[in-house]
Amino acid sequence: MEIKKILSDFIKSNFEIGDDPDFTDDAHLFDMGFVDSLGATEIILFVEEQWNIEITQRDLVLYPMNTVGEIADVILGKLA
Amino acid sequence: MNSTIKLLDLAAKKFGNKIGYEDEWEEISFNELRKKAMIIGTKLVNQLSPDQLISPVIVYMPKNIKCIVSYMGIQYSGNPYVPVDSNIPLARLQKIIDNLNPGAIITDKDHIAKLEDIHLGKTIAYLYDDIVEGSIDNEVIESVVQKVIDTDPIYIMYTSGSTGEPKGVTISHRGVIDYANWVVETFGFDNNTIMANQAPFYFDNSIFEIYGCLVCGGKMVLIPEVLMMFPVKLPEFLEFHEINTIFWVPTVMINVANSGALSKHKLPLLKTVTFCGEIMPNKQLNIWRREHPDCLYANLYGPTEITDVCTYYIVDREFEDSDPLPIGKACKNTRIIVLNDNNQIAKIGEIGELCVIGTGLGLGYWGNKEATKKAFVQNPANPYYNELIYRTGDLAYIDQEGLIMILGRMDSQIKLRGNRIELGEIEKAAACIDGIKRTCAIFNLQKEEIVLFVETPKEFTLRKINMELLKYIPRYMLPHKLISLENFPHTANDKIDRVTLQKTYFE
Repeated sequence: MEIKKILSDFIKSNFEIGDDPDFTDDAHLFDMGFVDSLGATEIILFVEEQWNIEITQRDLVLYPMNTVGEIADVILGKLA
Repeated sequence: MNSTIKLLDLAAKKFGNKIGYEDEWEEISFNELRKKAMIIGTKLVNQLSPDQLISPVIVYMPKNIKCIVSYMGIQYSGNPYVPVDSNIPLARLQKIIDNLNPGAIITDKDHIAKLEDIHLGKTIAYLYDDIVEGSIDNEVIESVVQKVIDTDPIYIMYTSGSTGEPKGVTISHRGVIDYANWVVETFGFDNNTIMANQAPFYFDNSIFEIYGCLVCGGKMVLIPEVLMMFPVKLPEFLEFHEINTIFWVPTVMINVANSGALSKHKLPLLKTVTFCGEIMPNKQLNIWRREHPDCLYANLYGPTEITDVCTYYIVDREFEDSDPLPIGKACKNTRIIVLNDNNQIAKIGEIGELCVIGTGLGLGYWGNKEATKKAFVQNPANPYYNELIYRTGDLAYIDQEGLIMILGRMDSQIKLRGNRIELGEIEKAAACIDGIKRTCAIFNLQKEEIVLFVETPKEFTLRKINMELLKYIPRYMLPHKLISLENFPHTANDKIDRVTLQKTYFE
């Protein structure tokens, strides 16, 4: 719960999303146009720093990270 | 050699069971690739209507090895292949199908349902998993391939058209045969060469690797599409896959350089760093050169119409960050001329339009005589015999040393992250949205962003507009900024006043 909140707050404030009702934990960040391709890196770098974990190129290939929920799952897996 | 597919026959003979291609799911040897492709070829020959002279076949799948198998299979049927983006807007796919009148379309389970909304006419839709199963009829394939001549089309790639209709650049077998051999000779590739492929297959930079590998017996490793969003992770990928050769679009090179990741991964195996598709700034190239001083760096240039590349420059000296990088000299079997405003050969240092002559010259735009006639014309400097040139629309000059320097465009076409975009196509698409009266797309050079102006009484957000635009144009064409106006400023003869828009909103 906490992870999702931190993550979605970061994305909301960094990508000028405001209180768009379409923005949910399950919304596809890229297909729905909330984040552009350059923003993807920003999110990953934030995640790595915030939770002190490394998201490797293999993680990116193996696990989908297109929604707040999906990214949170990967973070949880790394912290476990 | 009459058909590019003979390169696969030769590769299978020479390199046999060596792995030639690898993606995130599988790898395939030259033998296996040939076998599967021949099955597809046999099926296509037997099922496509023989009354048609030539039946292009669309391949509509995400980037993976199956696409390469399909491209080769289609060549075994004697027909040209047409790669399209698996995320292509359906309206655009429909336009391509209407223009192309393809014999067949090869797709996968995830995409076949989308074709239900497409008017296919006589086009047969195949599932890859079905068409790749069956038997090979050597005789049939041999007789079909023998009939191919090297000026027949091998592929058709669609690029942005200013009228809103995509243009199908049609390329010949001999263009690709010549180019693939040139690539391998020039960079000294052999069967130890391992290339990390960045370019999408609907972008002709991928010809470098797909056919370069057939000639040298090297391996092409497809970078997973998702990783292209994370340039900071690409050096780690290169390290993991023991890559020694890359041919990337400058935007990716720039993003990797700016990410700082190059200093974290030493990449001792990396030997050849080549790039093409847009202007490469020395600022970021210098970061690469500092971190990896032993690599060979080469700047390649070429529009889709001339088989990927027509000039190259092997970086042989130091450059200041602010220096422009030459695009060098013409490739083998290619000649470059610069034509000035009077349609005469420009003097040294004089700016004009870069024009290309040579084996790689495309066959024109599929089913579009008008556009073909405009771009592929008789060389005005040659009154003696037929010699077609391709007018690139790029402004260039040749310096004292004979090196070609490129400056920009003569028209409103832009290059963004390596993608060629006609602003007119964005305007046409935006005009289809309900509630929008007029549209105007302008490129803000300083910020490197596309700004879309719309004349509308309604309230729109950029995200909502972009979601609508995705029905007509690919993602890479989406504007980065939206400005809604109730009324556009207009010139004396009632045209949209682009200059005023630019002045008011960019400065």
